[in-house]
Amino acid sequence: MKTRTVCIIITLLVLCTAAVWCLSVMRPKSGKTAVISQNGKVLYRIDLSSEKDRTIEVTYEGRKNTIELQGGRIHMKCADCPDHICVDTGWLEDGKPIVCLPNRLVIEYENGDIDGTAR
Amino acid sequence: MDTKKLTCLGLLTCLALIIFIVELRIPDIVPIPGVKLGLANIVTVYCVYNYRSAETAMMLYSRILLGALFSGNLMALWYSIAGGTLCFIGMEILKNIIREDNMWFLSIAGAVFHNIGQIAVAVLVLKSTSVIAYLPFLMISGCIAGLFTGLCAQMVSKRLKRARKVS
Repeated sequence: MKTRTVCIIITLLVLCTAAVWCLSVMRPKSGKTAVISQNGKVLYRIDLSSEKDRTIEVTYEGRKNTIELQGGRIHMKCADCPDHICVDTGWLEDGKPIVCLPNRLVIEYENGDIDGTAR
Repeated sequence: MDTKKLTCLGLLTCLALIIFIVELRIPDIVPIPGVKLGLANIVTVYCVYNYRSAETAMMLYSRILLGALFSGNLMALWYSIAGGTLCFIGMEILKNIIREDNMWFLSIAGAVFHNIGQIAVAVLVLKSTSVIAYLPFLMISGCIAGLFTGLCAQMVSKRLKRARKVS
């Protein structure tokens, strides 16, 4: 077989695997317990269905992240980080966690482990 | 290493740096950390085929270090180093199997390796495996961006060879 054909097949295989993986990650989660953790430690475990609207502030090395809870949903309202990717991620909806890399903060649904979402 | 080669490598590093800095001005398209075009990879892929591995490594690491200094984003340095190293090793191994006319595939493989390295550092930094959920998204973007940069490198390589023949 020609090298080119093999290359194209491998690329397509990688793409397909990634696409299937993406879809399984993006499946809406049934669990309604959100976990906020920083630097590997769990800070809050919030039952979104019973929690009333409020904001939570988390600091890391003097930088502040404001997490907002509203109507059973959770998102990053504002953050003192250079890229604001966590804010742009929007509401927590699926297996894709809200991540603030500079402030080492992760917001995810409980059992949001790879095993829970990828299989 | 002779002076000519040193000059060429310096020039390539400079070129990669300029591309890198210009790319920083392009706003993020999707709110996923780590998704970018990686245009500076064009130079790396070109180097992998046209220079020895030690020379490519020198070029790559000076570009990463200076790029991090110029952009002022030292936080991103670790991600770049991990991704760059994995990408470099993968490409150096693969170039023995894949010839120059399939350069685009090498670039795709490099991009995917780069993403794996980035996620690995993110897992270490956050001490949480949940970021792996981002890997498939990065892999898809890596495939697309890698194909683009690979084709660019292929074109550059072809043209430079022709130019060298004429001169």
